[in-house]
Amino acid sequence: MAELHIIGQIIGATGFPQKSLFCKWGVHAGGAWRLLSGLKEGQTQVDIPQTGDMAYWSHPIDLHYTTKGLQGWPKLHLQVWHQDSFGRCQLYGYGYIHVPSSPGQHRLQCVTWRPLGSWQDQLAEMFVGGGPQLRSSDLIYSGADRYRLHTVGMGTVELELCVILRHFDRYGVES
Amino acid sequence: MATKMSSPSDVREKIRKKRRELQESLGRVRDDKQALVPSDWDLSKENDHTAVEELPGGEEDPGETLRRSVMAKRMKKKKKLLKEMTVESPPDEEEVTAVQEMREEQDRGDEVESPPARSPRDLPPRPVMRPGSSQSETTMRLRMTEKLRAAKSKAASLLEQESIIEPASRLQSLRDRDTLTRFDRDTDPDLQADEDSSFAARLKFRDAARRAAKDKRAEAGLPTAEEAYNFFTFNFDPEPQQQRRKKKRQSRRREAEEDGEGESGEEDEEGEEEAELEREHEGEEESEARDEDAPLVRDEEEDLFIIDQSAQDFMEVRRAEYIGYSRRLQRERETLFVPSMRPVPASSKLPENVRPRYLEEEGLYVGERPHVCLTNQNILENRILKQAEGRKWFGDDGCIIALPDPIKESSSRPPLFHLEDELDPALQAVYRKALKTKHVNLYIAGMGDPQADYQLDVDVSGLIFSHHPLFSREHVLAARLAQLYDQHLTRQHKNLTLLLTDKLNSLRNTIQNMLELHRGEALSQVTPAEDSEYKHEVRHTRQLRDVEQEKDRALLKSIIRVWKELKALRDFQRFTNTPFKLFIRREGDGEQDEQEFENDIMAEVSELEAEAEEDYQRKMSEYRRQHEEWKSWKRKQKALKKKQKKKRQQEEEEEDEEREEELGEEPEKPEPPEKPDTGDLEEQVREKAARIRRKPGEPVLIPELTVSGPITPNEQCPRAEFARREDVAKRALFIKVLYNDKEVSRTDSRTLNMDFRVHFGQIFNLKIVNWPESIKLQVFESVGSSTSQLTEVCVPVPESSVLTGSAPFEEMEFSSNQRVTFNHEGVGSGVPFSFEADGTNTQTLLTSGKLSCCVSWAVGEDDVPLAPPSSQPGGGMYSGHRQMDAIACIGASGLNDMKKLGKWAAESRLDPNDPNNASIMQLLSVVSSGDVAVPEYFRLEQLQEEFNFLSDEELQRSRRFRLLRLRSQEVPEFRHFKCVPSMEREVSEKVFQDYEKRLKEGEIIDTKEHIDAHRALVAKYLQRVRESVINRFLIAKHHFILSDVVSEDEVPSIGVLGWNLFKLAEPKRPLKPCRKERKKVTAQNLSDGDIKLLVNIVRGYDIPIRRPYASKPPASAKSGRSFTEPFTAPVSSQTPQQGSEWPFGQPLVRPFVEVSFQRSVLQTSTAEGPNPCWNEEIVLPFSAPNGDYSSTSLQSVRDEVFINIFDELLYDVVEDERERGNTIHTRIERHWLGSIKIPFSTIYLQSRIDGTFKVSTPPVLLGYSKERSLGSEGGYDAVRSLSEGTFLSLFITIEPQLVPGDTVREKMKEAKFDSQEGERLLIASEVFEKEASGRFPERPCLTTVIDINGKTVFVTRFIRPLNPPQELLDAFPNSPQETAEVVARYVSLVPSLPDSVSFAGVCDLWSTCDQFLTLLAGDEEEHAVLLCNYFLSMGKRAWLIIGIAIPEGPTAYVLTYEQNRYLIWNPSTGQHYGQYDTFCPLQTIGCLISSDNVWFNIQPYAAPVRMSFDVSKPNLWKAFFSRAFPDPGLSSVQPEGLVYRHTDRAVAVELQDRIEKVLREKIMEWRPRHPTRWNRYCISTLRQFLPKLELSGGREVAEEHRLELQSLLGEYRISGFPLHLPFSEIRPIIEAVHSTGVHKVEAPNVEFALAVYVHPYPGNVLSVWVYIASLVSAH
Repeated sequence: MAELHIIGQIIGATGFPQKSLFCKWGVHAGGAWRLLSGLKEGQTQVDIPQTGDMAYWSHPIDLHYTTKGLQGWPKLHLQVWHQDSFGRCQLYGYGYIHVPSSPGQHRLQCVTWRPLGSWQDQLAEMFVGGGPQLRSSDLIYSGADRYRLHTVGMGTVELELCVILRHFDRYGVES
Repeated sequence: MATKMSSPSDVREKIRKKRRELQESLGRVRDDKQALVPSDWDLSKENDHTAVEELPGGEEDPGETLRRSVMAKRMKKKKKLLKEMTVESPPDEEEVTAVQEMREEQDRGDEVESPPARSPRDLPPRPVMRPGSSQSETTMRLRMTEKLRAAKSKAASLLEQESIIEPASRLQSLRDRDTLTRFDRDTDPDLQADEDSSFAARLKFRDAARRAAKDKRAEAGLPTAEEAYNFFTFNFDPEPQQQRRKKKRQSRRREAEEDGEGESGEEDEEGEEEAELEREHEGEEESEARDEDAPLVRDEEEDLFIIDQSAQDFMEVRRAEYIGYSRRLQRERETLFVPSMRPVPASSKLPENVRPRYLEEEGLYVGERPHVCLTNQNILENRILKQAEGRKWFGDDGCIIALPDPIKESSSRPPLFHLEDELDPALQAVYRKALKTKHVNLYIAGMGDPQADYQLDVDVSGLIFSHHPLFSREHVLAARLAQLYDQHLTRQHKNLTLLLTDKLNSLRNTIQNMLELHRGEALSQVTPAEDSEYKHEVRHTRQLRDVEQEKDRALLKSIIRVWKELKALRDFQRFTNTPFKLFIRREGDGEQDEQEFENDIMAEVSELEAEAEEDYQRKMSEYRRQHEEWKSWKRKQKALKKKQKKKRQQEEEEEDEEREEELGEEPEKPEPPEKPDTGDLEEQVREKAARIRRKPGEPVLIPELTVSGPITPNEQCPRAEFARREDVAKRALFIKVLYNDKEVSRTDSRTLNMDFRVHFGQIFNLKIVNWPESIKLQVFESVGSSTSQLTEVCVPVPESSVLTGSAPFEEMEFSSNQRVTFNHEGVGSGVPFSFEADGTNTQTLLTSGKLSCCVSWAVGEDDVPLAPPSSQPGGGMYSGHRQMDAIACIGASGLNDMKKLGKWAAESRLDPNDPNNASIMQLLSVVSSGDVAVPEYFRLEQLQEEFNFLSDEELQRSRRFRLLRLRSQEVPEFRHFKCVPSMEREVSEKVFQDYEKRLKEGEIIDTKEHIDAHRALVAKYLQRVRESVINRFLIAKHHFILSDVVSEDEVPSIGVLGWNLFKLAEPKRPLKPCRKERKKVTAQNLSDGDIKLLVNIVRGYDIPIRRPYASKPPASAKSGRSFTEPFTAPVSSQTPQQGSEWPFGQPLVRPFVEVSFQRSVLQTSTAEGPNPCWNEEIVLPFSAPNGDYSSTSLQSVRDEVFINIFDELLYDVVEDERERGNTIHTRIERHWLGSIKIPFSTIYLQSRIDGTFKVSTPPVLLGYSKERSLGSEGGYDAVRSLSEGTFLSLFITIEPQLVPGDTVREKMKEAKFDSQEGERLLIASEVFEKEASGRFPERPCLTTVIDINGKTVFVTRFIRPLNPPQELLDAFPNSPQETAEVVARYVSLVPSLPDSVSFAGVCDLWSTCDQFLTLLAGDEEEHAVLLCNYFLSMGKRAWLIIGIAIPEGPTAYVLTYEQNRYLIWNPSTGQHYGQYDTFCPLQTIGCLISSDNVWFNIQPYAAPVRMSFDVSKPNLWKAFFSRAFPDPGLSSVQPEGLVYRHTDRAVAVELQDRIEKVLREKIMEWRPRHPTRWNRYCISTLRQFLPKLELSGGREVAEEHRLELQSLLGEYRISGFPLHLPFSEIRPIIEAVHSTGVHKVEAPNVEFALAVYVHPYPGNVLSVWVYIASLVSAH
């Protein structure tokens, strides 16, 4: 009856071409994991930083899992979106990051990528916004056939996660 | 040059003059003394001069000396002239000398010039010339010094004189004096300060110069004596100096001309240089002069103005100083020196008359000078030249002395060749090969011992070509022969023929034995199957033997044939290439052989006969069967034909034929099989034997191939063959050994022998680290230096048991498809050739051969095989995969093939007892036993099960996790769990009991709670509807708008600020303070005890007064107002009865107010009189259910605030009269007078409740009567007394003020819900509502509502005339008013359940009337709609009012128009008010709704009293459907008519009994300390009385009833009252009874009376009356 607490926040994002960003996030865990409490997905507000490169969200994450196995350790998947001055939202990056398995506080940086699309797409994107998105967002964390995608690297999302493990040692998992 | 003497020269002239003056004044002394102080430029010149003087002694560089001397002379001349001028008397002699000198100079120049064709390099002549010139110069100089001295002395004396004269002219201005002096000394004193004069002088001077120039030009050669004389004696007139200068210049020019350079620029510069010098002097002089002047002027001034000094005297106004541009430039030019960028003529850089000397040209090495930009170089040169000793910087070639360029083009550092020798050996590096790490996948798994080495020995012994391009034809045949012989040998070695023959013989013997054995017992016991099996076996073996024998014979034949061919070839070509010789040995004796042969033949024949017989028998039986069939068919045919014949007579022939065919095809008549011909058989056997077998008596031929034959030596061979042999000799072969495709070693190169065999005999020991994957041997053939790969042979990796020493050699065949052709005897490879002379029968051979090699594992020193453990079969091929195969990791690899293996084992009939098959059998047994069963399913998450910590069930059992999950799912029971224990054992199983019970009992209806089964069902249904609605609205709830997330205070505008300014002027403590808005608090961060309910009870009106006992009630005491009173003008018919009747002088009434909320009860102090004034604030704590203070939770709080008015009665209980004086012993009793119920949700949503409320009093209040105030005649009171009843002024609020949660309706506007209304209508309604709320935000406006299905419906669809129960209409057929009242009462009897409670936090739902009546619950809207629809059906004009009332808040009322009056009906209570009724609870009217339109109130006032209800006036009411947007004709959602179920009277009676029973129990329960006695008589009286109350609506019967009671129970003090309630559940009834506090009477002899009456109305609407009274015996 091992338990895992993930407490932390999505601090913000840097390095994106535009600064007014928001983030959709979710936690994906394997079949052995059970969410006891907390929201496992959500969306941050749009931050439009007046100064500096970083968009700050400080979005809280508070999850309590129990598990009967180690497989499918929770991973956090993120989608960074950009909201332009017309209020249109446009995908800016996908990224995922494993929740650290060692207890304690972790400062994480999740790099993101974005599908590139054909040159027509890119041209359209330049003028009218929008852009290619994944049909199924599972692809963010399931690696199958990703090599077919043409992607371009985007900025990084900073996270701060505190991990608390409980009773893992009972099952021979040393942390 | 002369023409250039313009204004600059003029200036120069002046300057020069000044200089002279200066020298007069200063330089004199110096000159005398020959001082050598180099403080000045001037002095340095003198220095120079002295140096020249010393010259004669020293031998110097000739050019340098020459130059110096010239300069020195010039200086001297200059000085002389100066002296002369100061003296102002031209000294002739001196002049002469000067000119003479000049002359000399000229001459010398000529001398230098004289050798005309001398090349610059010819230096030697010059020194020859020099001594002479210098000598002459020295003599001249001596003379001149003498003269100079004389002149100096003279000048000194003159100076003395001058100083005496001078003071006279001191007062003149500086300039004047300057010019004066100058011109004084100059030729013409008259032309003072005149530029022209100077100009003229200059002209003259110029002329002279010209003349001089001419002269010089004339003097090409040496001057004649006369000329020389003239020259020296000629008296040059006024400007001797200038003249001389000119000449000097010209002479210099001549020099320059020699060098072939233009020098005009240079001249200028020199001029300038001089001018500059002079300027300096001028400056000095000027300053000096000023110094001299100043004191003079001052002195004079002092003398003149000493008498009076004023401020002005010390001040002076001057012009702004301005220096003109040109002048400024001029001045700047005076101070600044700008070196020219033009190149310097060589002559100025070198001493005069010296030619530049180029060392380069003389053959000396001159380094390359660093590159300097030419302009910079020029500037530098020009500058240096101006400096003292400037020329010393210049070298002989006229360039600035410079070192050669220090930068080398290439590195000059010597390369380090001998590094290693010098390096310390300790520091030397050693090259090591790149090391491979041992831990890579493909390596042999270390087995814990990384040092374990494995060795593979590859023994390459040799190579034999079966064909080679260099084969001659003979070779080809020989190879073939050898091959055949090899085959023969192997066959002989195996000797299959003999083996098979033996087997055949033994089989035959067996059969014979069997026949003999069983002969006696007949053949019966011998199983035919066994017999036939043997026979079959014999036949099979015989066939095999025949084949083998045939092969043997064919091989032998072909060997002989090839040998013959070979011999023929040898004969043909007359030389022998191969050593092969074939001998054939004959063996064997004829007799025995023949015998055997015959026996064999006979046996075979007999067997064949038997076989044939058997075959015949089988065929015969077959034939018989067929024959039988045929016969039967024939018979049928005949019978048929007979019939047909009969028919034929009647029918035609055609048909007949058809019939015949119909019978089917005639089966072929079987041929009887031939009897096998045994004689023929024997022939066949003999023929075959002759073909494949040795004939009997024929000797056995045994071929023997030897290699002993001689080979023709090279010399005897023809040319082509010789060439071939040569070629062969050139060939060499070697073999590369490749391990895992990498070459590890190669054999030595061996030449190809004549027999095309190569022997290597080399063993390679391969120490291996990697798993062996492949071992290859590549055969290379080299001809000379070129190497080509012939072929590649793959050698299998040996088993680990194959060890060196024991491993046999293997012959690996190889071939190559190379095409090779030769022009000699060699047959080539891959090309056709022929043995025949005519070229037919061609054949193509490819290079091929056999490689003999052996690969084995080496054996270590201690006989340990150096082979990797065999536990890893297959070697490294799988090692990579294995790690990826998850199942293989746990040792279950290859399971998939198990089934196939088992299948195969079953099919192939493996012998289970064969020890070879033991392992397979064991494996199969394991498989079949099912221990390692292959799962039949596919697993998505591999190994999930294997690695699970614990099972699902275990996880499910965890109480703590369950609790956590339930909490996060917001299951009601657990939603408010603050803390979940961290330990499992701390969570008790009890926590879940309620929850599990609820889950279990979900479907069971608790009839006890509800009493009425129907209502229980309804409650159930309501619950379900609520759930579904909540689910439906979850989306809307999650649709956040900005105000949900961001709480933003409004920025104060200017207007607000202005108001605040006014407020400053307000009194601090006003006499009538107003309540202010408080800041709202969001409900999230609150906890228990933070919230308080404030109830301010101000005052009460018209509280009933006590009625004295036993006195005759005045008839007039009864309420004189009839039902019709509201409709007619009220008449106060009541005459006040005054308190004179009160026996004990007690006050009329002593009321106090008790407020109870959430079981906390507080009360005010007791006031007196019917119109008391308490003005007290009661603070009640509030705690939200489960401590959840969210707005949704607060909205669903069902608690009500009960405000009860009691009368406090004091009874003297002192029994002893004596004690009355000193003790007070009273009992306090309180009698309930009335109550007000206000739901908490109303307070919460409205945030404050302020006003005067009607106290709901029971219709009959025993012992009390209404007191009419005396002052009722007064204006205000008169109005108030119009309404009957008791009133209470209250102010209720919550502290702190909570932000009421928005109902979802607000959000509904954001989130559109599906609707069946037209798009246009919805938009219009939205616009209408928005406009309305924009203009009058406080007036509610309603156009669309949500029905119970969550769909948006236009509100008018709810209005439709609906029939009330006929029963009600029939009750008062004559009085429409009474009917209306009854209908309203009926509607009010439907229990009220606010939506905000039932659909907590969801929204306001409107149900249709049939739904309402089915549910029997609804809020004001439903009541109002139903009432309105009833009124419409009754023919009244009725509207629905949407407005705000007290205490309900936003609510719905009904407006009717009858008898020219508007009546406002409260549907929840059934009461009605006139338009002008002050106590009408409706405060604001927002809009009116009829069945076809909606009108919004746009009048200035919203209170009904001040309004007009004429909806036809568009300026007062804004209609929704107007001409612009006509009514689209909306159909109603209401049913066409309502069907009422008649309520069973018996049910009502049953309910009545049950309620009574429950109440009685409750009252007894509430009085635990006292016995509760029931007065039966009273109860029966009351019970009779209740139906009357119901009938009258509780109005008229009160007095009669009391009288009745009074008479009956005279001796009792009765206090009691009937309660009237609509029935929904029993709980509210109990609550109501409890709140009256009747049970609290604690008099010892108290008795109680309780009566319940339930009156059924159609549609299951029940009216409940509870009469409760306490009786205290009076005595």
